[in-house]
Amino acid sequence: MTISTPTIESLVQATPSSLGSYGPLLREIESALASPQSSLGSIAEIIEKDPDLTSRLLRFANSAYCGFSTRLSTVSEAIGLIGVQQVQDLLTASSVIEQFTDVADEFVNMQSFWEHSLACGIGARLIAMEGRLPKPDRFFVAGLLHDIGRLVLFLQSPKIAQRVFELYRKEHILLREAEVKVMGFDHQGIAEALLRNWKYPPALVHAVGYHHCPQNSSVGQMEASVVHVSDHLVNAMQMGSSGERHVSPLNPQAWAVLNLKTAVLEPVMIGIDEQIEAAKEMFLKS
Amino acid sequence: MPRIKTEQLKEGMVVITDVKNMDDMLLIPAGAKLTTRQIGILQAWGVLEIDVKSADGAGNTDILSKLPPETLARLTAETKAIFWRPDDNDQIFAELLRLLLSRRIKRGQF
Repeated sequence: MTISTPTIESLVQATPSSLGSYGPLLREIESALASPQSSLGSIAEIIEKDPDLTSRLLRFANSAYCGFSTRLSTVSEAIGLIGVQQVQDLLTASSVIEQFTDVADEFVNMQSFWEHSLACGIGARLIAMEGRLPKPDRFFVAGLLHDIGRLVLFLQSPKIAQRVFELYRKEHILLREAEVKVMGFDHQGIAEALLRNWKYPPALVHAVGYHHCPQNSSVGQMEASVVHVSDHLVNAMQMGSSGERHVSPLNPQAWAVLNLKTAVLEPVMIGIDEQIEAAKEMFLKS
Repeated sequence: MPRIKTEQLKEGMVVITDVKNMDDMLLIPAGAKLTTRQIGILQAWGVLEIDVKSADGAGNTDILSKLPPETLARLTAETKAIFWRPDDNDQIFAELLRLLLSRRIKRGQF
């Protein structure tokens, strides 16, 4: 039987919105922010309605990831120091992870996939800090979502995904090359269309949609380069996997755009090792 | 060149990167030998960690040079095998490989 190859549009249309179970909470925060009476306290009250989220947020705020020297004991303090935008990003990330837990293990182990993704998010944030880029926290979500196109493929078109893996093993090529050979596009293209559909900011869409070829991005070359370098590092550190068994080459243009020195590799790698457990505890609750 | 947490800094360690506060004001210049007073300044400004020259004589290169040559050769070959067409002449790859090997040794993965 012939299986028709999907289009990017058909894959994206079949994927639900990113809001998931935190959707109502995120909407409540948004409307509280729009109100002239909004305060840290009113945002904290919304979050405190969910005791599990409250305790995970506080543990995370006190973890090596945030690196504050004082102990934070209330949600208001945590939001005050982390910032509302980052709390919203963390909730969005939690929702996305939660939505993609039912992918069959035949392609990739989901625990391993999200460990790879979290490590890439942590690394992207650390690289942005090393490169003194503005708002380095926004790079976490970009790194976290960089391979989401692959999950969309596994979920929406498992038969085609199977064909991609067969070709990948048979021809000893990179998984991304097998995707292009089978479908005519790769997981970057799927993710770009998906995030655009979810109305994410263009720089984030490009950071994810061009993470293998940042030089082709018109509006997010810097952002995509950060994700590219982080992806390369966490693959080399063998932190989880998104299905690819080899570390694909580092794109020299991405490295050059960031103007990084090799001396940044060590602190970034140490930081990823120090922060990964806190991130797993925050996002991969069982 | 390790990055050391401020509370673990000791007098005499050599700073290798300019340390600035959030307003970009220079607190300690690169090359300075840390004094107790300077460590106090870092703590007062809430600086969490800084880059210093390997102070304990056990940097990554030393860890590798202490390994038996055949173990180092095996680890190097295994680590290189995970890369798609590794290029030994590439400076970034060479540094990454050195760090990955040291990381494996520190974690007892050999």
